[in-house]
Amino acid sequence: MAMIEVKSITKSFPVKKYDQAAKKYVKDTLTVLRDFSVNFDQEGVTVLLGPSGTGKSTLLRCINGLETIDKGDIIVDGMSVRDKHQLRKIRETCGMVFQQTVLFPHLDVMDNLTLAPCTLLGMSKKDAVERAKQLLDKVGLLSKEKARHNELSGGEQQRIAIARALMMNPKALLLDEITSALDPEMTSEVLAILENLASEGVCMLAVTHEMAFAQHVASRILFMDKGSLVCDASKDDFFTIYRKENERIASFLKFIGE
Amino acid sequence: MQVFDFAAYARFKWSDMRMILKAMGVTLHVTLLSLAIGTLIGLILGLIRCAKNPIVNKLPLIVMEPLRNSPLIVQLFLVFFGLPSVGIRMKAMQAAVLTLSLNTAAFFAVLVHSSIKSIPEAQWEAGYALGFNKFQIYWKIIARQAIRLLIPQAITLYISQLQCSSLVSFLSLMDLSKAGQQVAQKTMLPFLIFGIVAGLYFVLSFPLARFAKYLEKRIGFTI
Ligand SMILES: Nc1ncnc2c1ncn2[C@@H]1O[C@H](COP(=O)(O)OP(=O)(O)OP(=O)(O)O)[C@@H](O)[C@H]1O
Ligand SMILES: [Mg+2]
Repeated sequence: MAMIEVKSITKSFPVKKYDQAAKKYVKDTLTVLRDFSVNFDQEGVTVLLGPSGTGKSTLLRCINGLETIDKGDIIVDGMSVRDKHQLRKIRETCGMVFQQTVLFPHLDVMDNLTLAPCTLLGMSKKDAVERAKQLLDKVGLLSKEKARHNELSGGEQQRIAIARALMMNPKALLLDEITSALDPEMTSEVLAILENLASEGVCMLAVTHEMAFAQHVASRILFMDKGSLVCDASKDDFFTIYRKENERIASFLKFIGE
Repeated sequence: MQVFDFAAYARFKWSDMRMILKAMGVTLHVTLLSLAIGTLIGLILGLIRCAKNPIVNKLPLIVMEPLRNSPLIVQLFLVFFGLPSVGIRMKAMQAAVLTLSLNTAAFFAVLVHSSIKSIPEAQWEAGYALGFNKFQIYWKIIARQAIRLLIPQAITLYISQLQCSSLVSFLSLMDLSKAGQQVAQKTMLPFLIFGIVAGLYFVLSFPLARFAKYLEKRIGFTI
C-alpha cells in the first residue's frame, strides 16, 4: 500500500464569473482537479511540474487537508482526509512548507520550532529544544535560534520553515514552490538543504520550477496540465523519452528555459 | 482681569477642593467599572464578529451599530429618562455605568474584530499545516499577535471614554465635571476651577497615553 493514495479526487472552487449577456457577476464553479489519481510511496523525491494554474498547489493542499475535496478520497498512511479526527495525524505525517514563508512573528526561531511538538506531541521543552538545535544545525542556522522573523533573510526563513516542519518528524515533506520567492543565491542555499535532506532519506513531494533540482535530486517526475496528470515517469525517462515525445512537456520545458 | 484678583481666590475653600476630589472618585468609579464591563462584553461581541457563519457574525452588529452611531449623551438620556416609561427605573449611577459599558463594548468589539482580522490568513494556514486545531491556533498564534495590535488602540479608546464620562453629569451625577460646574458657579472663579478640573482629567489620562506609547514601542513588531 502506498503511503499517500489519491483516489480519483475532484476539487472545484466557487468563483464569480462575468456574464456578458446579463451584464453582472454570476456564481460559477471552477473545477481544478477532475477525477485525479496518483500514489506516492515513502521514498525519494518526487517533483511535480506543470504550468501555472494547473492545480499543483491545490493537490498538495488537498493531501494535507487544507482544502476539502468534493469527490474521491485521499488516504495518507491509512487515514482518510475526509475524517476530521485524523487530520491532525495526517498533518503530522505530511509536513508542509509554503511558497511564502510564515514564521510566527511573535515567537523567536527556537519557539517557532518547539511550539508544535510541545503542544501537539506532548514533547518536553527540553527534548524539543534539543531536537530543534539538531535541525537548526542541519539547516545551518544554529546561530539564529534567538532571532525574530524580521531579522532573517527570505532564504533563512524558508530554511527555518523546513526545520519547523521536520520537528514533527513527518514521513514526507510537501513543498510548494518554496524557492520561487527567493533570489538565486538564497534559492541555491535552500536547494542545498533539500538535497542534503534527500540524501539522508527524507521523502519529499515538491512543486518547483527549479529544473536543476528536478534533474539532480528527483527520482520521479509528475507532469500536470489543466488539472490532470499528463505524465508520471522516472526522472531519466522524463528528461529523455517524454521530453521528445510529449509535445506539451517539450513546450513547457522550452518555455521555462530548460 | 479677574485672574489677577488674588483676593478673590479666598472664595475657593478647602471644602470645595474636597468636593472636587470626591467627584474625581465618582468619575474614576464610573469610568473604571464601565471600561471593565465594556471590555468584557466587547471581547465577546468581537469574537462573535469573527465567527465563520455569515449570520452569526452579523448578530453583534444589531447592538453595536446603534451604539456606535448615536451620541453618548442621547444614549444616557434614553436609558435614564426613557426607560422608566417602560417600567425600568435605575439610579443615575446605574444608568451611567450601564450606558457607558455598552457604549465601550460596541467600540471595543470593533477593535477586537479588526485586530484579529488583520492577522494574515497565512498564519492560520501555517498553524493548520502543523496540525493545530482552530482553538489552538486562536490561542497560541492569532490571539498573541492580535493583542499586540489591540492594546494601544484599546488604551486610546479608554482615554476617550474617560473624557466622555463627563457626560454623565447630565444625569445629575456628581462627577468631576459636575462638581467643577458647581464650585465654579459658587466661587465665581471659572478659570481657576475648570483649570483644576482639566488638570485632574489630565492626571488621569496622560499616564495612560504614555503607557500606550510605551507598549507600542515595547511590543510593536512588523508582521
Ligand atoms: N481558493 C480558491 N478560490 C478560487 N479559485 C482558486 C482557489 N485556489 C486556487 N484556485 C484556482 O485554481 C486553479 C489552480 O490553482 P493552483 O494554485 O493549484 O495552481 P498551481 O498549479 O499551483 O499554479 P502555480 O504554479 O501558479 O502556483 C487556478 O486557476 C486558481 O485560480
Ligand atoms: Mg501553486
